[in-house]
Amino acid sequence: MKRIILMLFVVVAASSPSFAKVDLVTLPSRDTVQLTIYNSADLTLVRESRGLTLKEGANSLQFSWANTLIDPTSLGMLPKASADKIDIAELTYPPRVRNLGLWNIESGVSGKVPVEITYLTSGLSWRAFYMGTLTQNEKAMRLQGYVRVTNNSGEDYENAQTRLIVGKVHILDEIAELARRQYPYGRPGEVVPRPAAAPVERVRARGVRVLEAAVAGMPERPKEIKKEGLSEYFLYTIEGTETIPTGSAKRLLSFEVDDVPVVNLYKYEEQRYGAGVVRFLSFKNDEEHNLGDTPIPGGRLKVYRNADDRGHLSYAGQSSFKYIPVDEDVELNLGPVANVVVEPKLMDYKTENHRFDRSGDISGWDEVRKFTIEVKNTRDIGVKVEIKRNFDTPYWKLDRGGDFGDFEKVDLDTVKFTLSLTPRSAKKFEYTLRTYHGERQEDWTGARS
Amino acid sequence: MNTKTKSTIVLMVVLSIGSVAFGRIKLVALPERAATVIRLDNPAATLIEEERVLTLQQGLNNVDFSWKGVSIDADSIRLQALDNPDKVTLLSVSYPPNEAALVWDISCKGDFAETVRISYLLSNIDRLITYKAVADKAETAVDLKSYLVLRNFSGEDFEQARVLLDYGEAFEQGIDHEETKQMLFLRAPKVPIRKIWTFDAAKLPWDPEKLENQNVGIPVSYRIVNDAGSKLGKFAMWGGKARIFQDDGHGSTIFLGEDVAPLVPVGEKMELYIGDSRDIVVTQRKMTDTRINLRKNNKGRVVLYDTDEVITAKIENFKDSAAALTMIQHIPGQWDMDKCNLKYVKKDANTLEFEIELPARTESGPATKELTMHYHRRNIRQ
Repeated sequence: MKRIILMLFVVVAASSPSFAKVDLVTLPSRDTVQLTIYNSADLTLVRESRGLTLKEGANSLQFSWANTLIDPTSLGMLPKASADKIDIAELTYPPRVRNLGLWNIESGVSGKVPVEITYLTSGLSWRAFYMGTLTQNEKAMRLQGYVRVTNNSGEDYENAQTRLIVGKVHILDEIAELARRQYPYGRPGEVVPRPAAAPVERVRARGVRVLEAAVAGMPERPKEIKKEGLSEYFLYTIEGTETIPTGSAKRLLSFEVDDVPVVNLYKYEEQRYGAGVVRFLSFKNDEEHNLGDTPIPGGRLKVYRNADDRGHLSYAGQSSFKYIPVDEDVELNLGPVANVVVEPKLMDYKTENHRFDRSGDISGWDEVRKFTIEVKNTRDIGVKVEIKRNFDTPYWKLDRGGDFGDFEKVDLDTVKFTLSLTPRSAKKFEYTLRTYHGERQEDWTGARS
Repeated sequence: MNTKTKSTIVLMVVLSIGSVAFGRIKLVALPERAATVIRLDNPAATLIEEERVLTLQQGLNNVDFSWKGVSIDADSIRLQALDNPDKVTLLSVSYPPNEAALVWDISCKGDFAETVRISYLLSNIDRLITYKAVADKAETAVDLKSYLVLRNFSGEDFEQARVLLDYGEAFEQGIDHEETKQMLFLRAPKVPIRKIWTFDAAKLPWDPEKLENQNVGIPVSYRIVNDAGSKLGKFAMWGGKARIFQDDGHGSTIFLGEDVAPLVPVGEKMELYIGDSRDIVVTQRKMTDTRINLRKNNKGRVVLYDTDEVITAKIENFKDSAAALTMIQHIPGQWDMDKCNLKYVKKDANTLEFEIELPARTESGPATKELTMHYHRRNIRQ
């Protein structure tokens, strides 16, 4: 539906913009339109180019946007030719009229002048989502990234150049709230109410039907999405133009990489994940992993596994991940599993080195705990296992033995053991943890690792 | 007075013979509003000055000034004779009961037309300032535009008025009740900017690994100095909402973000927070935090101690361009630094500021710097 209407009034009497003296009205149509859609906020920058036929002297241009979600304070107009001869004197929001702006233009030229109109609107959104397909040995994954663009703005944007912004933009007011205001800049002394509900929810509540894919006249190959960095953002420009009517959505392929080597990483950390092992798929957004051209926007990934040679799939799980800069590690949490097991066992406990104060009460002691950790890989593929242990005190000493792999002190009270296990194998290691309490902390000489 | 809508502010010269009693009015003159000034130099209140020509008679004159549907501060109303101030004397001001009005008793030494200026504070008419800045692709300068937004919800239409701000030239502008007008009033091309990334350890999470699927955004700001070097510096810049765009190198722009600019006096700097960078990652951890130098009372209880603390912070730049990160660390109470591998400036007793230059990411990975701060907090009472 076309709801944004542009009217040009050429005013005969140059001294007054009064409507009664209008002698000509033209409705310049959009020549081109560009949408720059953000995903960290409900925000789209719209840039339209239109050709205005101006008359020398005063011209009045009416722009109306009833039933759309345009922020009226964001309206801007720039002449793209004869800019030095065209003065856009003011933008008036007339009294007792809603969703209407009036530009008063002083023109030193007469004839057709291309202008660019920009504004911010709410209601268009995009999100990234991914599909991963693991090889049978789970050593590599085909990764497909998609973007889905949804238009609930109330306006049809036909043949729009569509651009998507990856990044976290700082905004003060919700555009949807600015669009709903009775007066564009509010009233003096008015306390501006905060938006009541997220616009996405509102759209769902209305039950708008969302259409997937199905693009008319799709050429033989999917459209390319060009990616480039700008400031702290990444700009995705979709090849050609798109028509996304209001109420509809479109899915586009953002990238497809066949062989991303992945590590099957399993983590155990009682404080964070409880008593179970959590499976992660790990890879890096770099060249070695056939990636690394651009950051990967955050989104949800569904992971499948090739189940047999005939292309049947099994579903491995899904994970959301955050924005991944180039060269950063990706860890996809696929949830708890039972086929890799980490079993810490307290084998011995004692207290010793007691100190007593003048009243004969205990003022210091050590606690000594001996743990055995058994790690079992029941899968038919090799895995990497990370075990983190938290001690709740910075006064500790640790002695370890057995096959504990790589050891690292993470912070003042956390250590990490990293082990690699071949298919269907088990490893076992021990450590003895001495913690210092009360006055015994005075005898502590630093964590030994 | 305005001809388009009903008048709400009315001035009447009540010509009476021999008496001030309203019941004996013989003639009422309604003088037209002449030059009107809307003065918006005080953000808290708007001063209206209007000139009118009063036809005065020798002797006592009553001038009735009333308003309806508008909010005028009655104590702010002033009257000034402009042509013959020595022959026109304001004797008293009276307020009729239950009415938004006042009556001036004016003594006049002759029969003549006198131009008077009436001034008063009018509510619900004000101005806002907004900024629009377009940064170049390299983010070294912005084309800055500032707009004046006049909002009139006073109840009164002003067909034509001189609008005055505290700087810049006055301009003629009409504005009706419930009308909002936006006008360009400052254009400053190529104002130099400095882009700043800030990690404040008191405001941002330390260890991104502990957050589930969440990036820690490092706030990014543009700094503009209001001085001649920036082609500004002629007057204080009023506070207002600033929207920042960037040239995308393809003849278009992207929206970078928005912030509220504070009032910036000449010579001062304005910092506009535009968004968060997720390509600079800070992982800060406390590696040691123990008590040392314990001092005990006679009962053997610790009453005073120092601490031994080590904080490390790994800073990674995943961007393909260099960046300067301002890192702010806080150490409470009395403290001394044992060892710190990066230079810092002590901003106040408890705040340390590091300027960390980060080169661009290379083929081998992100540019990484590490901060290690080994310090002691002193004389902490138990």
